Amino acid sequence: MKFLPYILKNVLRNKLRSVFTGLSIAVSLFLVTVLYAYINMQDEVGKESEKYARIVVTAKQGLMFPVPIAHLDKVRAMQGVKAASPLAWFGGKYKDDKIPFAQFATDTSAIFTVLDEFTVPPEQLSAWQKDRSGCVVGEKIARKRGWTFGDKVVLKGDIYPVNLELTVDGIYDGPESSDREMLFYHYEYLDELLKQARSQLAGNAGTIFVKAQSADMLPSLMTQIQARFASSDSPVRAVTEQAFRQMFTEMLGNVRAYIRNVALAVVVSLVCVAGNAMAMSLRERTREVAVLKAIGFSRTTVMSLVLFEAMVIAVGGGLVGTLGARALFTFGDISFMAIPGFAAFYVPWSTVIFALAIAAAVGLASGMIPAWRAARMSVVDGLRKVV
Amino acid sequence: MTNSAPETLVKLREVSKEYMRDKIHVPVLSNTSLDIPKGEFVAVMGPSGSGKSTLLNLVAGIDRPTTGTIIVAGQVLNDLSESKLTRWRSHHLGFIFQLYNLMPVLTAFENVELPLLLTPLSKRQRAEHVRTALRIVGLSDRMDHYPRQLSGGQEQRVAIARALVNDPVLLLADEPTGNLDATAAQEILDLLQQLNEEFEKTIIMVTHDPRAARRAHRMLHLEKGTFVETELDALEAAG
Repeated sequence: MKFLPYILKNVLRNKLRSVFTGLSIAVSLFLVTVLYAYINMQDEVGKESEKYARIVVTAKQGLMFPVPIAHLDKVRAMQGVKAASPLAWFGGKYKDDKIPFAQFATDTSAIFTVLDEFTVPPEQLSAWQKDRSGCVVGEKIARKRGWTFGDKVVLKGDIYPVNLELTVDGIYDGPESSDREMLFYHYEYLDELLKQARSQLAGNAGTIFVKAQSADMLPSLMTQIQARFASSDSPVRAVTEQAFRQMFTEMLGNVRAYIRNVALAVVVSLVCVAGNAMAMSLRERTREVAVLKAIGFSRTTVMSLVLFEAMVIAVGGGLVGTLGARALFTFGDISFMAIPGFAAFYVPWSTVIFALAIAAAVGLASGMIPAWRAARMSVVDGLRKVV
Repeated sequence: MTNSAPETLVKLREVSKEYMRDKIHVPVLSNTSLDIPKGEFVAVMGPSGSGKSTLLNLVAGIDRPTTGTIIVAGQVLNDLSESKLTRWRSHHLGFIFQLYNLMPVLTAFENVELPLLLTPLSKRQRAEHVRTALRIVGLSDRMDHYPRQLSGGQEQRVAIARALVNDPVLLLADEPTGNLDATAAQEILDLLQQLNEEFEKTIIMVTHDPRAARRAHRMLHLEKGTFVETELDALEAAG
C-alpha cells in the first residue's frame, strides 16, 4: 500500500497515453462483457426458469407446426397441472421496426398464473380481461416506447394474415432476468380474426405453457402429456422451459464457442496493445528504474511495481468498459440489439466480475515482459542511458 | 597512551575490471588496491575513461569486479548474491549522481522518502526521517515542490537528502557538482563537507574539478585504470 502513491503517479505520468490505453481496454472489455453477458444471461435465465416449474408443449414436428387449442383443456385436466395457457407468437410488424418484439396471444385468466414471476396490478388485469382487444405490455417496452394506458398499438400481421388493433390496458413487471419487453393479448381476439379471414391457422394455440404444482412433478407430467396425445392427429412434445430455451440457443449453432473465440482474440490483441504501451513507458524510465535499483529496490520490488502499474491501467479501463456495459443495458435503450426469442438483454453481475478478472489478467500479462526486463536490467547500463 | 588506527571502511584488493565490447576485452581497472578509513572524504580524479565511475560502481556493488576482492563496512561484496547486494546497498550506501536522478513525478518529500519505503518504518516515522534529511540540506520549505520547480542546486540537495535519509555509513558521489554553476557547486561542496565533519559520513567523490577535490581529505588520481601519485596543485595548474 505504501507504494500506491508512486504507482498512481507513474500511471498518470503520461496522461494521454494512459487514457488511450485505458480506453482501448475499456472498449474491448465492453465487447467482452456484452459477449459473455449473452452466455451468462442465458444460463441465469435457464436456472431461473428451473425454479418456475414450467413445461412448454409444442408440436412433435417442431415449433412451426400447430398445437390445436383443443389440447389446452385436456392438459389442464391432468393431475399435477396448476395452470396452462396458450402462447401463440404473432410476429407482427410495429411501425418501422425491423425486428418484431415478442407479441403473444394468450389466455388472460391463466397467463399470469403460469408466468407467475410477473406482476400486474389487479385492476389493470381485470380491465384487460374485460377488453377483448386489450393488451398488457412489459414495463421495459412501455418505458422505451412511451406507451401508457389507453394507447393504441397496431400490429401488422406477417405470419398471420390479419392485423391487430390493440389498446394498452396494463403494464406488467418482473425480476431483472425476466423478459419485460413482451406484449400479451386475448387469444380469442386473434382466433376470431383468423376465422373471419378463413385462415387455416385458426384454432392454433402456438405453444402451451404449463405450470406444474411442483418441480418434482415435471418429469411425470411431461411423460403424461406426450402419452396423452401420442396417438392423436397432433402429437406433441413436452419439455421443461429450460430445455425449450436451450433449443433456441442450439438453433443459432455453437454460439458459445464462437463467442469465446471472439473474446479470446479480443483479449490477446488487448494484451499486445497494453503491453506495448507499458514497454514504451518503461523504456522512457530506464534511468529511473536503474536509480531505484541503485538505492536498494530489489528485482522483485521493481517487478511488482511495474506489474501493479499495468494492472491499475487495465482494471481502470476494465471498470469503465464493463460497468459502462451494465449501465447501458440497464438504463439505455438497446432494443436494436435484442435478439428475438430471448429474454431482454442485460448484463449480470457475474459477467461484470468475470470481465474485471479478465482486465486484471490482461494487466498482468501485458506488464509481464516489461516488468521482467526492468527487473533484469543492469544498474550500470541503466544509469548510462540518456533518454 | 596509544592512538588506535581508524577503522577501514572500504578495502579494495587487487581489483581488476574488464568489459567486453564487440568481442574485445577493454580493461578499465587493473590490479587496484585501496583502503579508505571510516570518516574520510576522498576525491577521485582522472580523465574520462580512466575508471573513476567504474571504481564507484564496484564499491557500490552495482557492478562486479573481474578479479580481486572488495570489502565495504566489513562485508565482502564478492560473496553476496544480487538480491543480498541490493538489500545491503539500501542499508549502507547513499548515492549522489551528477544528473540528480530524482523521480520527476514525485515531490521533494516523496523523492527523499523512496528509500524508506523499503524499511519497516511507519508512515509517521518515515515522515520524521524525511523532514530531518530535508532540514539538513536546507530545503524544509521546498518539501512539496516537484523537481521541475527546483533549481539545479536544490535538486542536488534533494538527491543528497535521499542519499542521507537511511543514515548510511558511506556516501558515493559521482561528479555531484558537474551540472551546477559555481555558486551552487560551492553550496553542494559545503554540504558534503558538513556531512563529513558533523555527521561523520565517509564520502567518496568522483570529480573533474580540482577545486571540488580540494575539499576532500585525500585525492586519488586514476590514470588508465591505476592510481598514480599527483599533486593537486600541479593538476590545478594544468587546468
